[in-house]
Amino acid sequence: MLDPLTSLLVAALLVTLGLSLFWPERGLLSRWQRARRVTDRVLTEDALKHIHNCEMTGDRPTIQSITGALQINPTKASELVNKMDAGNLVQFEKGTLHLTPTGRESALHILRAHRIWERYLADETGFAESEWHLQADYFEHYLSPAEVDALSDQLGHPTHDPHGDPIPTAEGELVDHQGTHLTAVDIDVPVRIVHIEDEPPAIYAQLVAEGLHIGMQVRVIEKSHQRFRFWADGDEHILAPILANNITVVPMLEEPEISPGMRLSSLKPGQKAKVLGYSPACRGAERRRLMDLGLLQGTVIKAEYTSPRGDPTAYRIREAVIALREEQANHIYIIRLEENVA
Amino acid sequence: MKKRGETTAEDILQTAKALRWEIGGNIHEKLVEAIYTDAARIADRTVTREGVRPRFDLDHSIDHLVTSRIWGFPILLLLFTLVFWITISGANVPSRIIASFLIDTIYPVLSDGAANIGLPWWLSGLLIDGMYLATAWVFSVMLPPMAIFFPLFTLLEDFGYLPRVAFNLDNIFKKCGAHGKQALSMMMGFGCNAAGVIATRIIDSPRERLIAIITNNFALCNGRWPTQILIATIFIGTLVPTHLAGLISALSVVSIALLGVLLTFIVSWFLSKTWLKGEVSTFSLELPPYRPPRILQTIYTSIIDRTIFVLWRAVIFALPAGAVIWLSTNIHVGGLSIAQHLINFLDPIGLLLGLNGVILLAYIVAIPANEIVIPTVLMLTVMVAGLQGVGAGAGVMFELESAIGTLDILNAGGWTLLTAVNLMLFSLIHNPCSTTIYTIYKETGSWKWTIVATLLPLGLGFTTIYLVAQIWRAVAFVL
Repeated sequence: MLDPLTSLLVAALLVTLGLSLFWPERGLLSRWQRARRVTDRVLTEDALKHIHNCEMTGDRPTIQSITGALQINPTKASELVNKMDAGNLVQFEKGTLHLTPTGRESALHILRAHRIWERYLADETGFAESEWHLQADYFEHYLSPAEVDALSDQLGHPTHDPHGDPIPTAEGELVDHQGTHLTAVDIDVPVRIVHIEDEPPAIYAQLVAEGLHIGMQVRVIEKSHQRFRFWADGDEHILAPILANNITVVPMLEEPEISPGMRLSSLKPGQKAKVLGYSPACRGAERRRLMDLGLLQGTVIKAEYTSPRGDPTAYRIREAVIALREEQANHIYIIRLEENVA
Repeated sequence: MKKRGETTAEDILQTAKALRWEIGGNIHEKLVEAIYTDAARIADRTVTREGVRPRFDLDHSIDHLVTSRIWGFPILLLLFTLVFWITISGANVPSRIIASFLIDTIYPVLSDGAANIGLPWWLSGLLIDGMYLATAWVFSVMLPPMAIFFPLFTLLEDFGYLPRVAFNLDNIFKKCGAHGKQALSMMMGFGCNAAGVIATRIIDSPRERLIAIITNNFALCNGRWPTQILIATIFIGTLVPTHLAGLISALSVVSIALLGVLLTFIVSWFLSKTWLKGEVSTFSLELPPYRPPRILQTIYTSIIDRTIFVLWRAVIFALPAGAVIWLSTNIHVGGLSIAQHLINFLDPIGLLLGLNGVILLAYIVAIPANEIVIPTVLMLTVMVAGLQGVGAGAGVMFELESAIGTLDILNAGGWTLLTAVNLMLFSLIHNPCSTTIYTIYKETGSWKWTIVATLLPLGLGFTTIYLVAQIWRAVAFVL
């Protein structure tokens, strides 16, 4: 029999080996998988996407910009462009890179696959918001046009991805999104968020952490070079201008629907309220579930009691008592009703 | 040919497409919401409800008591202690009666009968010593606790108390990425894991339901309580003075059960952060009005739905297990029985893990039902140690009335305190029984999750007892 110290050591070694192999993202296995993923095809498709993006924003795509966007070395980038030129995907015109019709077609397919996949992740899975983009960056390379069409069909032909970017149609049409950057909006003008830029991921993650979503109603309170203060669906937010610049808004035609500051989570036991609507962040299965419970615009809801640990809270909805967690109650906008003291 | 002023289908499609972009992305949600809202308005206008609610609302008062900050948890603990106490103490007597009837009365009659009609020894051995005895063990150990536990549980459910338990405990489960209703399937798992897995149907969120299914095995089921109690009594109870023995062995069993609860939380948290990250997750919990339990109906349905159902599956799996056990000890290859060969092969692994080959083999043949682990261990130990005058022969499972007699057999098999502790740990943390595995497959419809639910606890169990064994030996070496 092995002596115990040796076997403990062996176990420790095995565990270390196992962890370094299988640790998510940093383990050898996932590194190897990632390296294997970066084939020429994937690089070509990423480059096409980049050039297309430059054309949309009016920037000039160059070998340098490709080097930066794909995080590869310049030699590799110029080889890549040469190969794409030979494959009739891009062409040089007066020293500028342009997509050929074939190139544009595949770029739009990748874009469509990416945005539909994001929509799918948002509506039909439980992945966190910050993971949608990264996952779509991977799956966009493995979905055939037929698969993308089937997915689009299943999702009811969505027009926009969850960040508010338009999804190219199967025929290759792409509508440019309208609107202005939040930083360009005047103080006290009611606007609605239509787009939140998902790149770079670090900035997007901060916007998600702030709880900002497409469809929110915004009113700017204060703007300066250091900070940008505004109301969004009743909560005050302060952002650095560089963050606020990644949010696109359109003017609101109708009157603001929701009075600021009231969410179901703020209702104390014994108080009554009327439901105004859901936050745009409440989507997919979660939203359907709440509607199934009969929690709709105009429904009267009463907070009954909370659990011993303060969360969840039981609410009386249409003669039934339903418990909701705090983060769900946060998604429901209400207007408080005065108590009629009997 | 298209005439002027005539619209074709193509044009309509084009217009529709253009309009779609104008309407925006959330048209479906808006539509569904509008339909629901209309339906609700129509209902509100036409449905009349009975008068005003009474001034003294009993439901409300009960709810305030059982979910109150002060009384919520004590009431919960008290009720469940009571349920388990009634189950364990109430099951002892009928268990013994059924065992003595099936094993002491029927078994000799069957054996004699087989001998009288001249059945060959191998056929009567296979049928009576193997299959009949295994089923009889499972039946007598399983039936009484389940017939007591399930109706009690269903009564609480029927009364409306269980949803309040989920309500009270939800916050703790939320921190592990799970649903409060998992508390209920876990409680049910203390009765029987297969029933616990079925009970996860009350969780309608797919991710939380999978978590509840995979971790249900960490609730120490009825089939494993007797093993824990026996081993704790004869190995741990004897370490302390006699007047403390009962208390200490009971405490050690309870701490094993609590370790299972802790593992449920840890594994739930792990699953929700890794493999189950992408599964859809929603939350809602209805707290229905209280109503007087319909006692007779409850007892009838819980016995039919749960007890008989689970028992039937267990019996189906116990029959072949009994046959395998009998055959493996009675078929000889090269002078040794198959069981002996397997034990010789498993012994080095078992000893390294702080168990032994007999226990490992017992756990392999006892996959169908945890109830037969101890009888199988005793039978195999007697066979391996070559003890004379105890036991009932190769392939015949038995249990002893006296704890001292059992201790003598196990000591002869080379058991130590470490073996006992590791057996208790492994009994908690190992693969679910085949009834449960089959139920998991039925409920999830997925081989992938069935394999995860089977191998995850097994791997965790091996790791735990390996580490315990090595640390134990290292400490013993230093001392």
